[in-house]
Amino acid sequence: MRFWFKKRPKPERPGFDEVMPPEGVPLYFEIATFGVRFGAQLVDILITFIAAIALLIFFGSIGLSNPSTMTAIGSMLFFLIRIPYYVVSELLWNGQTLGKRMVKIKVIAADSGSLTAQSLVVRNLMKEAEIFLPGTLLLSLTVSSPMWSLISLVWICGVIAVPLFNRRSQRLGDMIAGTFVIHLPKPILLKDLALSPSVSHVGASKFTFLAHQLEHYGAFELQTLEDLLRADASVYNASTAMRRKNTIDAVVKQIRKKIDFADKVQRAENLEFLQSFYNAQRAFLEQRQLFGDKRANKRHAEEIETEKT
Amino acid sequence: MSDQTDVMRSARFRAERETDWRKLEALTAKAERQGLNRMSFAEARDLASLYRRSTTALSIARQISLDRALLRYLEALTSRAYLSVYAPQERLGGLLRKFLTQGAPQAMRRSWVYILIGFLCMFLGAVAGYFLFFENASWFHVFMPPELAGGRGPDSSTAYLRGVIYDSDPEVSGLGAFATYLFSHNTRVAIFVFGLGAFLCVPAILLTFYNGLILGAFYALHVERGLGLDLAGWLSIHGVTELSAICIACGGGVQLGAAVLFPGQRTRKDALRDAGKDAVKLALVAAIMLIAAAILEGFGRQLIQDRAARLVIGWGIGGLWLAWFVLAGRSRS
Repeated sequence: MRFWFKKRPKPERPGFDEVMPPEGVPLYFEIATFGVRFGAQLVDILITFIAAIALLIFFGSIGLSNPSTMTAIGSMLFFLIRIPYYVVSELLWNGQTLGKRMVKIKVIAADSGSLTAQSLVVRNLMKEAEIFLPGTLLLSLTVSSPMWSLISLVWICGVIAVPLFNRRSQRLGDMIAGTFVIHLPKPILLKDLALSPSVSHVGASKFTFLAHQLEHYGAFELQTLEDLLRADASVYNASTAMRRKNTIDAVVKQIRKKIDFADKVQRAENLEFLQSFYNAQRAFLEQRQLFGDKRANKRHAEEIETEKT
Repeated sequence: MSDQTDVMRSARFRAERETDWRKLEALTAKAERQGLNRMSFAEARDLASLYRRSTTALSIARQISLDRALLRYLEALTSRAYLSVYAPQERLGGLLRKFLTQGAPQAMRRSWVYILIGFLCMFLGAVAGYFLFFENASWFHVFMPPELAGGRGPDSSTAYLRGVIYDSDPEVSGLGAFATYLFSHNTRVAIFVFGLGAFLCVPAILLTFYNGLILGAFYALHVERGLGLDLAGWLSIHGVTELSAICIACGGGVQLGAAVLFPGQRTRKDALRDAGKDAVKLALVAAIMLIAAAILEGFGRQLIQDRAARLVIGWGIGGLWLAWFVLAGRSRS
């Protein structure tokens, strides 16, 4: 809740937010987007609604309700099921309801440490005021009450606007509870390119690079090359394989021009060349980094120049 | 890869720790699947220590490695492990007991000023409504929404008013009546009063005052016909609980609004979060009271037709609530 705009420093990684665990190593979580959260919410509403209907049918069959009180009992059941559903499921499954599990998102505490029952109750009670109250208002609208239609329209617009216009896309309930929703990170360990079988050691490679040839690029170019080399060859069909070959040709040509690599590179050896260049460049950049010379991209030399002047 | 010495430093770093990471990955998956408290002691211990080692590895890797695949993997792994190591460990039963015996009454005592404001709004509204009705009876139609009056008004006969108060055979009863009363006017008011409090207090105070006006005018109507005490009985049996719930909800709303209006040295967001801790407990107390009121209204009001008994039960239960708020959860010293 801020009433004026302060200039914030631009986040290091847009779409991510930092959480500082007690161990003191910052972690970056990808913030769940509005659409994904809306999907999870729909699934949850469907689940609780079906449960309420089932109970209503059960009550009807044992004669506890009659048609005149059906709506009242139905909405009471829906209410009495959904309030504990959200709190209990997020407490037991560590910030996930069934809907959130389905789309792999999770509630986490913004101030590091574990979620408390307190904050889960707060964020889910506010959900009543934020989502269900205008929702039911919207469903019960008639043409005869333009005043209420207008109020609920403004309300719903406000509720949607809050998560769309803040950095962590928090609802009001999230703000009060001090939580936000993230995409669950998925740990996949790919093989280390530096140990790739095509080039066993740096020394044994056919291609050798001199120190001045490795001065040109920075981490960004290195990691782009990494992505290119990691691309899975098995998913290509004839035409895309052809295109990839051409891309690699162009990349090799460009690198050779840039670093003044005089020796000829056969077309068949393109990949091997890139692989050894990757290894040499990575070893070089990592070593520079150890000595405190972090090179973000190919413009690192200019940045040093502008700093000096 | 006969010897590891001429492999670059970051690749060696990874090769040395990879088995640990794989193990942590498996343990994290297990913790997410079945929960920490169902894991064996050795597994839980390994999870915690491997997690701490992986945070160290992550911070080293950020400094020495430019292998993006490795950085992404370690980041994701550590995040997942962090989330399972710091998962909430509370049990449901314990939470409920702690709320009822300590959390709720302590929160009520801490925010007594706000609750007083809530009661004051209602009371002043009632006094104003009462005197306005005696000044001019047509004020009744101004304040009272027709669906709430149920046909009662300055024009209806005294016999009809008495009939509504002592109605032993209403249209709905049992569970249906309970549900109807739970979602009656007053519950909606309580929710609005709490939720709107965050908007600078004003809607909460106005709405509570307005409900006081309704109450005052309604009471004045019956006093005019000599039914004052009868109405008091009819209202008391559930109203003591229900109207208090509205006032408490108003107190919670005002507390939120006050945090936004007067955040002090904190940012408004932080102030709102701090105020929310107690305010939400007030809201839960109000919810419990509204459910109790619906039970009283749905079942008790037709069963008990005696005026004195209605008064005694209504105010007796009110006294029990008060005793809970005042006495429970005090530390024995």
